Amino acid sequence: MSQLEQDALFEKEMLAANKRKKAWRWLFISGTAFMVSWIVFPIYLLVVSALSSAEVVNGWPKAFVPEFDMETMAFFMNYYGVLDALKNSLIAAVFTMVISIGLGTPAGYALARFEFRGKNTFRLLILLTRAFPMPLLALPLAVIFINIGLDDTLFGLSLVHAALALPFAVLITSSLFMGIPVELEEAAWVLGCNRWQAFVKVVMPLALPGLTASAVFAFVISWNEVFAAAVLTINNQTLTAFLVQSLSSSPAEVKFAGGLILIVPAILFLFVVRKYLFSMWGIANR
Amino acid sequence: MTAIVIENVKKSFGDAHILKSVSLEIKHQEFTVLLGPSGCGKSTLLRIIAGLESQDTGSIKIGDRIVSHLPPKARNVAMVFQNYAVFPHMTVFENIAFGLRMKKASEEKVKANVEKFASLMHIDHLLQRYSGQLSGGQRQRVAVARALAVEPDVLLMDEPLSNLDALLRLQMRAELKSVLAASKTTTVYVTHDQVEAMSLADRIAVMNAGRIDQYDLPDEIYTNPATEYVGSFIGNPPMNFISPEFQIGDVPAGATQLGIRPEDFSVSTIAQENYWPIKVLTKERLGSHQQLSAELNGQLFRVNIANEIDVESGNTLYLQPKDDKKRWYTESGKIIL
Repeated sequence: MSQLEQDALFEKEMLAANKRKKAWRWLFISGTAFMVSWIVFPIYLLVVSALSSAEVVNGWPKAFVPEFDMETMAFFMNYYGVLDALKNSLIAAVFTMVISIGLGTPAGYALARFEFRGKNTFRLLILLTRAFPMPLLALPLAVIFINIGLDDTLFGLSLVHAALALPFAVLITSSLFMGIPVELEEAAWVLGCNRWQAFVKVVMPLALPGLTASAVFAFVISWNEVFAAAVLTINNQTLTAFLVQSLSSSPAEVKFAGGLILIVPAILFLFVVRKYLFSMWGIANR
Repeated sequence: MTAIVIENVKKSFGDAHILKSVSLEIKHQEFTVLLGPSGCGKSTLLRIIAGLESQDTGSIKIGDRIVSHLPPKARNVAMVFQNYAVFPHMTVFENIAFGLRMKKASEEKVKANVEKFASLMHIDHLLQRYSGQLSGGQRQRVAVARALAVEPDVLLMDEPLSNLDALLRLQMRAELKSVLAASKTTTVYVTHDQVEAMSLADRIAVMNAGRIDQYDLPDEIYTNPATEYVGSFIGNPPMNFISPEFQIGDVPAGATQLGIRPEDFSVSTIAQENYWPIKVLTKERLGSHQQLSAELNGQLFRVNIANEIDVESGNTLYLQPKDDKKRWYTESGKIIL
């Protein structure tokens, strides 16, 4: 093959490679756009509908710009029981957060720092609590709760939600603590701390962003949980349980308003932990 | 006056006997280096002195107090770690002040000590920085200043220079030596680097598989290795150990090995009576001298000779160990005095 032919072939290959690169790029961009709209579009529609008047929501053609008509939202918030349910949801979620961080942090620390018999079994058992579906557990739980007088209490519900959130709390915090060099603690011990002081003064501040994220995560798990809430509470219903039972026969625009109230905490959560999650996943944060 | 007395300390992790009965008396204000290869138990011993690890049996005394079962905070020791362990969420000032704050020192005392030791370690311009904004060498300085600031009875250092690059390590080594000599703090320093040990130590404890083979002045360790192991661990190239069949002249009773340093031979290029005719295998010119490896009937010799001696690999050279440099070792590798 002459030099000229070789050059031509090389040129051709380069062009083909460039084309392939371009095609991949387009596939990547359109794929990303598709996935983003898959998530964002329903939320967008929800927001538009929740902030529009009943006529617009039920009329045709659909509006794509919210009118910022607050009537539906106002109606929803004044609807009997909504504010109580909202309050209940908040209380249950805060309880859940406190319980799962309060129990999950020591467990995570123990998994990260100590060698003990049955450590791996323990790790597995933690995950096993997620192996049983809530519908299977709800009825026996309801019976037990009635027997010990925890039925229809937010504390009882929080216990169930904490059981759901704890596996994540334990595993997230244990990986957090594993990421903090043990020498930092040892340095603190040698410099005059006992184990607890070293934890508070050195480990906690370093783990705080991650602890916050897993606390908020527990909050959202409780906030979003509907099955146990619907089965275990009657008078003290959380917002999800209330919406499931009360709004099934409500007009569409009120359902949208309820939906909007429900997703707001989840979205706020994502923005709060975004930076932390990014650094956890190794994506440089801008 | 003794600062630390270690008596019959043993430690095992499962089936691994890391320390097999270690005893050591460290004098007040002395700089002791625990030297040995990785896995010899030197770091474990240091951590037992600090209280970060507990011994299975035996006792540790610091000053007049038996500290064997006290937690680290009650031992009045300070430690510098290999990876520095500078608290990342505190400024340099707060790092150095940490130990004093824990001991509830007055604010004036805290400020005075932080400033004193920061300027001693040449980091007084960095006091408001966080560790993320410091270089490795600067972090090392913070760690040392933090340890000295509590004015401990004993300063413990676990391979503090091994994370620094070569040039910085030399510089820090010289600096540490002068700072610690000035502070007169009893120091126990762990390293696997014999040059570091020789240059820093007042006294070296050479450790071998969970035991201390020799605890002595650096010069003694070099010239009179207590065991074959010490002789072959210290010195580059290490001591020659020559088997009985080559011996010339008197051999003390019980001796099975002659130990002789590479530089302690009389060398001749022509055959002489009672000289070993060795065959030169390799020759390296090192500037100040030449380093040879040579062989005679399967026995390897490492020899340092003057630059003037003209010899090439393949040549024969005639060697005789200098009488006053001969060291004799028993079958089990112990020196015969």
